[in-house]
Amino acid sequence: MKSISLYRDNGTWLCRVHPFTKLMYIAAAIIVPLLLGTLWAYAVAIALDIALLISGKSLKRARALIIFSFTIIATIFIIKGLFDADNLTPLFSIGSVVFYREGMMKALRTGCVIINMLLSFSILVLTTKPEDIADELERHGFSPRLSYVISSVFSIIPQMMGTMDTITDAQRSRGMETEGSLIKRMKAFIPLITPVVTSSLINTRERAIALEVRGFGGKGKRSYLKEWEKHRGDKPMTIILALIIVSAAVWRVATWLI
Amino acid sequence: MNGKSIFRTKFDVASIVLIPACIGINYIGKLFASALKLPLWLDSIGTCLGACLGGPIIGGICGAANNLIYGLTTGDSITLIYALTSLFIGFFVGIMARAGFMKSFPKSIITALVAGAVAIVISTPLNIIFWGGQTGNVWGDAAFAAAQAASLPLWFSSLIDEIIVDVPDKIITLILTFIILKALPEKLTALYDASDEVERLD
Repeated sequence: MKSISLYRDNGTWLCRVHPFTKLMYIAAAIIVPLLLGTLWAYAVAIALDIALLISGKSLKRARALIIFSFTIIATIFIIKGLFDADNLTPLFSIGSVVFYREGMMKALRTGCVIINMLLSFSILVLTTKPEDIADELERHGFSPRLSYVISSVFSIIPQMMGTMDTITDAQRSRGMETEGSLIKRMKAFIPLITPVVTSSLINTRERAIALEVRGFGGKGKRSYLKEWEKHRGDKPMTIILALIIVSAAVWRVATWLI
Repeated sequence: MNGKSIFRTKFDVASIVLIPACIGINYIGKLFASALKLPLWLDSIGTCLGACLGGPIIGGICGAANNLIYGLTTGDSITLIYALTSLFIGFFVGIMARAGFMKSFPKSIITALVAGAVAIVISTPLNIIFWGGQTGNVWGDAAFAAAQAASLPLWFSSLIDEIIVDVPDKIITLILTFIILKALPEKLTALYDASDEVERLD
């Protein structure tokens, strides 16, 4: 069954870094440029994201994740560059269409925010197993119910996608059309989704009973099957990242006060 | 039904199991919508079902967990921002359902309009902060561009964009939710009925 998670263990050091360290990096990569407010800060953050992805041998797969955002970023440039309310100074023109500097700068900033966010998250997404995040959250005091929800989603979806294929085949063999005009496709949606959804909801009843008899609702301390192998850099790195965020916040507040 | 029972939530195993199933349904809805090339998201059917079955609290948890899980694991980190929208859609659909607004087809349309309004109120500021006001949907963004070209204020253009994208989506979603709810067997829905009382024989 195909998993929806993008995690692949490619044996690099990035896969062995603790999920919380990566989460802290994401927080730093997003919050610090936001606090500093200059485009240079974004450039540094994006360069850092890319450097980390290269050393984790995951840049190629990250590219697939961000490529979809390029069309929307392009439309942001066009709409802001042409029509933004603050537009004053013409930057360049194509034929009779004039692009303005103010709008283009705003679009550049939005583009940087989006790319930076996508890249920094892709570091976590591409190199961390979702079940590991769930396990570590539980070990650090989150409810076991939460970690059940997270890890369960990843086993339920492939199962539902299997049902989805079966239902699609069954309905097609009864003569349902899944191509053609918009109305036709809209009509096809109901006979496709209803059986998948009802069957998966009915399954929850059995799953609830199965879990209950295995002591899911029970109280008391849980034991773990897997031990997380600690990476020596995890703790110092998390502290350094936290300090960077705090100092950026202090700098921001200080510049406001002065 | 009094105000207290609207928010009454069972946190038993059945409700916990419902959450991942609803998150899966959201994903399947989105998958079918893109397989059939429909111009809608249809990615909140599960959240609405969860809200109707488990109440506002479970609905809210379904919505927020949905976006958090997909954002943190499938690389679609933009959805993380909209966890707030999903949370409130789940919450308000849950309230409407508990207040009896999912019992008949016309009433479910009212629920759909409430869900659409919630989506607009919460998503529009998020769109402005993160995307400069756009939604990424072709039709909505075309309206956004036209409104900006006509020198309308940013928030207004963004609002129009969001209305075009979200209201039809929520109406279709709630109609589907209504159809699915009617098709569910009672032995399942009874599992989530918070107003029931356990009778003891001893």
